[in-house]
Amino acid sequence: MNDMTDKDEKLGKRARSLFDASVDGLDAATLSSLNRSRRRAIAELGRPGAAWMRWVPAAGMATAMLVAVMLIVPGPGQQEQALPTSVTDMEILLGDEEFEMLEELEFYTWMDLAEDNDDVT
Amino acid sequence: MRVDSTLFTISWVGEQATGARALQQERELNRFLADVERRALRIAEIAVRDRDEALDLVQDAMIRLARNYGRRDSDEWAPLFYRILQNGIRDWHRRQAVRRRVLVWFGRGQGDDDDYDAVAAAPDPNGRAPDEVLQNREAMRDLEAALRGLPARQREAFMLRTFECLDVAGTATAMGCSEGSVKTHYSRAVHALRGQLEAHGPDLVRPME
Repeated sequence: MNDMTDKDEKLGKRARSLFDASVDGLDAATLSSLNRSRRRAIAELGRPGAAWMRWVPAAGMATAMLVAVMLIVPGPGQQEQALPTSVTDMEILLGDEEFEMLEELEFYTWMDLAEDNDDVT
Repeated sequence: MRVDSTLFTISWVGEQATGARALQQERELNRFLADVERRALRIAEIAVRDRDEALDLVQDAMIRLARNYGRRDSDEWAPLFYRILQNGIRDWHRRQAVRRRVLVWFGRGQGDDDDYDAVAAAPDPNGRAPDEVLQNREAMRDLEAALRGLPARQREAFMLRTFECLDVAGTATAMGCSEGSVKTHYSRAVHALRGQLEAHGPDLVRPME
């Protein structure tokens, strides 16, 4: 299946040239970050996951269940609203990389409460 | 006594060989990552439109590759690395979609991120005249916008084949699909890009000197 025309090939070459130029122009701070990431990865070579990581899914599930309860049970003065969660959403909420997002949820909940009480200046 | 001594010698030589092999593997992995990291970052950045998020995704892919596949043959690293990275990018998009839905539900929907300035985010190409730099940035901005308009699988196929120069088999491994699917996605991507970019003018489709 080789129906590539000359124009298609030129487009590919031009796109590659532009991409390479953008790669060559990465700034020093970004290159430094990549360097640090690489060193971190090399240090992990062949190392199995830390023992405490085995508890992360369980902790994530417990936190996600707490959030699910918060979503299902309306707070004081709140009207019932349609849930935004589907099975797929819950899979993601139950994932072990969503602590940051769940922390943000707590923050937004706090913001809602604080605004209701006019505590936010 | 002589048997003990011989066994000790064999054991010592074995340990030395294992240590040397581990060191060699570490060097090879370092060389591989140093070779792909910048292109991987730009590929991730085009996909998620955020430099910091892209850095996180690349770091995660590096660590997972080292931890899970670092002892594999180095020829297998490129497709495996890009498979991990593409999975990370897909997960990132799914998480963003859920995050938006949840935050909207909390009445805190994030504003649309259309204020992302691809030109400002694009790095300066080195050693070129300012006019050419500007022209290239604009062309790259158009290319990135066109790439983002493609279906995800077509975008992946195009970036892996064109930017990373993976062959069809490597791209298939990285994308987790058949070689036939890669050819179809890539061909459709090229045709779609040509259609879009020709409409923007000849700059992008003319070859670079």
